[in-house]
Amino acid sequence: MNLVPPDVNYYSMLPFITVLLTAVFATILPFYVSRKAIAGLSAVGLLVALAASIGLWNTNLSSFYGAYRADNFALGFGIVLIVGALIAVISSVDVAKRGGTMQAEFFAILLYAVSGTMLLASAHDLIVLLIGFEVMSLGVYVLSSFKETSNSEEAGLKYFLLGSFASAILIFGIALVFGATGKFGLEAINTAVLSPEFKNSSIAAVGALFILIGFSFKVAMAPFHQWTPDVYTGAPTVVTQFMSVAVKAAAFAGFLHIFGLALQNVSGWQTPLQFLIALTLMIGNLSALRQSNLKRMLAYSSVAHAGYVGLAVLASPSQGFSSALYYLGIYTLMNAGAFAVLNVLSKDEDGLEIESLAGLGSSKPLLAATLTFFLLSLAGIPPLGGFIGKYLIFSAAASSGYYGLVILAALTSAVSLAYYLRPIGLMYFRPRVTVLPDFSGRSTRVLLLVCAAGVLILGLVPNAVYGLLELVKK
Amino acid sequence: MIHLIIFIPLLFALIALFFRGQARASVSIFAALSSFALTAVVWMFKIDTVYRTPWIPGAGVFYSVTFDGPSLLLALVATLMTSMTLIYFSFRKDSHQAEGMYPLALAMLTGLLGIFAARDLILFYVFFEATLVPSLFMLGLYGRKNRVRALTKMALYTIFGGLLMLVSIIGTKYYTNSPSFDFLELFGRTNQLDLETQTWLFLGFLAAFAVKLPLFPLHNWLPDFHAENHPSGVADVMGTLYKVGGYGLFRFALPLFPAAAQNLQWVFMFLAAFTALYGAWIAFSSKDFKRLLAYAGLSHMGLVALGMFSLNPIGMAGALFLLAFQGVYSSALFLIVGMLEERLNKDSHNEKTTSQALEIGHVRGLAASAPAFAGVTLLLWFASIGVPGLAGFVGEFSIFLGAYQANPWATALAVSTVIASAAFALTAYQRTWLEEATTSIPELNAKDWFVLAPILAVTVFFGVFSGSALKLLEPSVQAVAGLLGGK
Repeated sequence: MNLVPPDVNYYSMLPFITVLLTAVFATILPFYVSRKAIAGLSAVGLLVALAASIGLWNTNLSSFYGAYRADNFALGFGIVLIVGALIAVISSVDVAKRGGTMQAEFFAILLYAVSGTMLLASAHDLIVLLIGFEVMSLGVYVLSSFKETSNSEEAGLKYFLLGSFASAILIFGIALVFGATGKFGLEAINTAVLSPEFKNSSIAAVGALFILIGFSFKVAMAPFHQWTPDVYTGAPTVVTQFMSVAVKAAAFAGFLHIFGLALQNVSGWQTPLQFLIALTLMIGNLSALRQSNLKRMLAYSSVAHAGYVGLAVLASPSQGFSSALYYLGIYTLMNAGAFAVLNVLSKDEDGLEIESLAGLGSSKPLLAATLTFFLLSLAGIPPLGGFIGKYLIFSAAASSGYYGLVILAALTSAVSLAYYLRPIGLMYFRPRVTVLPDFSGRSTRVLLLVCAAGVLILGLVPNAVYGLLELVKK
Repeated sequence: MIHLIIFIPLLFALIALFFRGQARASVSIFAALSSFALTAVVWMFKIDTVYRTPWIPGAGVFYSVTFDGPSLLLALVATLMTSMTLIYFSFRKDSHQAEGMYPLALAMLTGLLGIFAARDLILFYVFFEATLVPSLFMLGLYGRKNRVRALTKMALYTIFGGLLMLVSIIGTKYYTNSPSFDFLELFGRTNQLDLETQTWLFLGFLAAFAVKLPLFPLHNWLPDFHAENHPSGVADVMGTLYKVGGYGLFRFALPLFPAAAQNLQWVFMFLAAFTALYGAWIAFSSKDFKRLLAYAGLSHMGLVALGMFSLNPIGMAGALFLLAFQGVYSSALFLIVGMLEERLNKDSHNEKTTSQALEIGHVRGLAASAPAFAGVTLLLWFASIGVPGLAGFVGEFSIFLGAYQANPWATALAVSTVIASAAFALTAYQRTWLEEATTSIPELNAKDWFVLAPILAVTVFFGVFSGSALKLLEPSVQAVAGLLGGK
């Protein structure tokens, strides 16, 4: 018998392996070293993975016969995911100050989840993609119930039950697509669909719909967003921060890959997706308007942002991929930044009332200024990064002819101003009523400034990064 | 050079943050004055300011800026008035309580200069919306009791309009298959679009510009904006300069969609004429100086829109002329109100005394104690209502002349504004300055004269010798009017 060695290229998996190894060390080492050291180790591991991702840029290596690819798309998303995880690690250091220690296992589980997200972004095969999806989900289920409070436990359980249900639907969809085409590879599926003897188009369409539902759940698109506000509010703030950026970004990476590479010629999912996006934009923005808790408001705002990125899934892959990546990169900086400010200002994991921000502009100028920056960027006010991101997505969708949705997105993002501007108005234009705690350490303050600078730079000289993103296009 | 002019104010706004008190005032005034001086150099030596470089090449966005005639005139007015306003503000007793005004005004100036210079639609949009942020902060930080409501109103109106414009901007590029958002590339392709597409895109632009003009019925944010702002008038001046809707129409909406503009001409001419009359009418019953000036401004903007939609060179030149010079004398009237308020108001933190100081007819017969103050005020009001010999007349007259050729009925409606504005302006003037004296105020001092003298000089000079300003406008106006089939 002829033994064929499997096609394994370790270089291509360097960022992934680094994160995984760090996770393994973070699992074992807590018996011997302090919690702070683990946090430091995690940060270093993530930085090495970041460097590795940058080093692999443009090399287009692949492994396992193309099932795992370190192409620019995967690396770009990998960088966004690592940055999101780094922000969460740094923010978690402050949590200790309000008495709620994060056990050291937190970092291990976080890193396992990050490795799952990276696998999801690099997968070019439905099975690998599913493994990444599940590794990520399992990690996040645990993380969201990490606090021993009833809220957090409820959040974890709710997320787990609904999430498993969504995973089941996704697996069912994958099975149907496999049944219709006989392939797992993304490009192979597309080739099978395009071949003249393809007859199972209706099975493939049903499979695509199931996959659509599975992913809509993970990225929190209405009406599959119902878990989001409860889970985001109940989970510890740092976990919410991680979920709202990294999990969303990774899920969108998979979403874009499946629908942009494998199923773009399968009909039947485009119209439902348009409805989902329209509903998401309206429900996300209108519900955020009514929130009085900042954490909950940011949770609904992240639902709304899923709607904007959803537009990129509809657009043609050549524009959709790069604009979604750019948007999610900026979104990671601004949303995680906003959550970092929320984290250091709240006395427990329940977040804080928006009203209590009054007068923060004079009492905590740095926190208020950076939060203002992030909120303005989330609202899409030029010249900050959020505007450029929105613009790229809108123009990608418009060039594919989805005009009505773009107009709706523009109108709803005007509505979003009302809730993004209100905290700013309170912070600067009202006298102080409540005294908020301030748990920010030096590392967090540096982090906030770096995020704010990133948001500004990505807005002012988008070319510096968007030029690179051109390479993401197929 | 053009980059210096645009970004000096913003740069110095950041520098000014590190200073306090008199030093901050000096740095800020220096920045505004140097921006003005450089703009004047560009004007006098006819320096070529065309500059174009890719900004987001992947998406066809260029950093493309130029100061041509209309831009230059508006830039001159904006830099001059910002300088004068900041000088005036530094003389005020309460300026140390509102030091944030300096960097905010400078940041707005950069935004305004960017609006006037931008030739790429996305760049224009960026400046157009970014200028809103410092404007909102001025209102929110230093405004009066109901400022948050005024702020929300203004933000919602502006952003709704702005986003519709953004959709239209993106649409314009894709429907024309243009490689970029540069005006020069879009222009010439848009007239190949069918009328329906043109009309929708045109209306998207108009949503933003009608809010910013403002045009009835989208004017609702304006009176609150002025009434709730800091009584000094600094924010009001910057707000007056920020009324760039007329400019946007002239620069982008009309030349890009000439067929749609011609098709809808009569609707907008009537709307504009109605806005002018409506503004003057409401102004007549205003009890507060700031509201009065806000509605007077609304009336002016109605006339600007009327001139623009006349679609012929004389009307459009008049509209641009009026837009530029109302930035001088309407702004100056806000400063006059500020000076008056400072003299009458004993406690600027007290909402009640502030309201009384701004109320028309609360005090009477001030001319007896301050005749020169009264004279200057009257002169500026004359300019505002278009008395011949002052800058206001040239603009208004040209607008009526141009508009009459296009639509005599709408023009007839608009001409009655002249009578209405004379009525409200003179009534308000008479009640405050004439009649029997109830109180006495200090006369204008040297500092006040220092601020007002250049403004008065400009108002009188360009009223008599309007040629130099009109010559600046002529080439662009002819070019745009040529597209629109005007003579």
